[in-house]
Amino acid sequence: MDSKEKLQSAYMGYVLLHGAQPKTVFIFAKENDIAEEEFYKYFGSFEGVEQAIWKDLVNTAIQEVRGQEIWAQYSSREKILSFFYSFFELLKSRRSFVSFSLNRAPRTLGSPRVLEAAKEEFEQFTAGVLLEGIESRELMDRQFFAKRYKDALWMQFGFVLNFWLKDSSAGFEKTDEAIEKGVNLTFDLFQRSPIDNLFEYGKFLAKNSGIKMPF
Amino acid sequence: MSENITREQNSIPSSKVQRSTRFVKTGFKIGGNYVKHYSKKLFNPDLSKDQLNEDNAADIYASLSELKGSALKVAQMLSMDKNILPKAYVNQFSQSQYNAPPLSGPLIVQTFRKYHGKTPDRIFDEFNLRSTNAASIGQVHQAMLNGKKLAVKIQYPGVGDAISSDLKMVKPFAFRLLGMSEKELEVYMKEVEERLLEETDYELEVRRSVKFSEACAGLDNIVFPEYYPELSSKRTITMGWLEGRHLKEYLQTNPSQQERNRIGQALWDFYNFQEHELRAVHADPHPGNFLITEDGKLGVIDFGCIKELPDDFYYPFFSLVSNEVFTNKEKTLQAFRDLEMILPGDNEAQIEFYYRSYSEMIGLFTKPYTSGGSFDFSRGEFFEEIYAYGEKIARMPEFKQARGVKHFIYTNRTNFGLYNILHELRATVRTDTFPPHLR
Repeated sequence: MDSKEKLQSAYMGYVLLHGAQPKTVFIFAKENDIAEEEFYKYFGSFEGVEQAIWKDLVNTAIQEVRGQEIWAQYSSREKILSFFYSFFELLKSRRSFVSFSLNRAPRTLGSPRVLEAAKEEFEQFTAGVLLEGIESRELMDRQFFAKRYKDALWMQFGFVLNFWLKDSSAGFEKTDEAIEKGVNLTFDLFQRSPIDNLFEYGKFLAKNSGIKMPF
Repeated sequence: MSENITREQNSIPSSKVQRSTRFVKTGFKIGGNYVKHYSKKLFNPDLSKDQLNEDNAADIYASLSELKGSALKVAQMLSMDKNILPKAYVNQFSQSQYNAPPLSGPLIVQTFRKYHGKTPDRIFDEFNLRSTNAASIGQVHQAMLNGKKLAVKIQYPGVGDAISSDLKMVKPFAFRLLGMSEKELEVYMKEVEERLLEETDYELEVRRSVKFSEACAGLDNIVFPEYYPELSSKRTITMGWLEGRHLKEYLQTNPSQQERNRIGQALWDFYNFQEHELRAVHADPHPGNFLITEDGKLGVIDFGCIKELPDDFYYPFFSLVSNEVFTNKEKTLQAFRDLEMILPGDNEAQIEFYYRSYSEMIGLFTKPYTSGGSFDFSRGEFFEEIYAYGEKIARMPEFKQARGVKHFIYTNRTNFGLYNILHELRATVRTDTFPPHLR
């Protein structure tokens, strides 16, 4: 474990034990027998530590699903589902920290600041999977919208995260359901749908029905 | 009347289709209600769930009231009173479960990791992530282990919760719909809820499956898959893979009368052995729960729904099968009282009325037992008579009241289900192989 990781886990341990952030970076550094500037070498603030923890969580889940033997056979829909399940399985052992970190984050439009770095990781990963899906024609390549697919998945991610925090079912079974239903619906929308066909049909009629359009 | 009968018969299969589409539609609407709820909630986090429940209940109510016509009648005939409502539930749930979308591959992997701590490919030599069949509240996958072909049943997540919450939601509307008091219906509802929830307990199902398949091992022409408790969990069941045809496919192969009789006999023995010897019965005689193997044996593949018959129900109920009791009015009345078909508050005229109506019904229903040791289930008249009787009492205001102990719901469902399968098989069976015990 390098010192960066050490600091992260020390921070997490502190937060879990005290239910609050350390008063100052100085106190925290002292408790861990390092100089204050040592801390700043890695992080700008405690928020920075939390961001790094979140980013690591997302990364770990990505590595884990990519490592599964079946990964290559999965469609892009299944790849994303698999990531969601692994990620929330991973969160289970850190539930107290997650709820601490998210509940402290100010309610703003968009995602909380602590998730910023995680979001980048997430989007990089999903963009890749989505691109594969579009190339294999599993997903519909719509002008303008196709670039926004990853945003829809991020919203889904935020939704499930909030859902999970409030989930009190045994084994978080309800969260599994939320993932299964939510991600599937999102992917149904990414696929060719009646709307696309309607649009195509409209275009066809406009060209060929003999009705002169007033333009 | 005869015209009535044919119409009734014709309307049964078709109404089944309509019924299922009705419930599918409700499912969509309810799904829509949740979406509506959550999108509203995005802008107004304080929004309570009342509106949502109201929306849901209204849609369920709408579909139940449309059901009143067709399903109600058939089920009424089944239970001879207003037990129909729970029946509509049973239908609704089996229907909506059947329509559940298949579980995604990742969710299956996740389920195994959660309950077995390992991914399926670590547990089995081979595991097919694509499901082969839908079971009532889950789906079935093929797997291989040590050269043996296995069937692995996986339950949809959250089924148990969904059953409880849906039942709660529909309850008040159900009472209004049937014009019955909550107290009257409560017992029946509870019975249905209990059975439905039991079905979601896979650990219980494995224990029962092992117990029942051992207890019934001595019966002729019946086979059970081997169960693997150590490879099963709360949400998964592993059992041996039975090769065979479902009833419909089997009948398409044009089996001879003799073969059909053999299967029918096995079915009859299976049920009567359980009812009279084990006092607990596989209460879901749905054709999908049986297979007919290559060598002409009956395979039983699902022990999710078991109804136990307590003595205070068993003895009065089956005493009516005996001629000695049934021809003796006093004894019959006593049995009716024990079964709460005649209530303490009834006056003379009511007692006489219910005595006659119920006697007619029981006379019909016990025909297979009382017709001299063997019964030909291929005869349409028997079923027409029952339908006609159901049609008749459906119009009687006296039957608007709930009567009979709660055990009737599943016992009637079981026996009538059995009759129906035997009818489809057009089988003639010996009905005195496992006679009821009398006290």
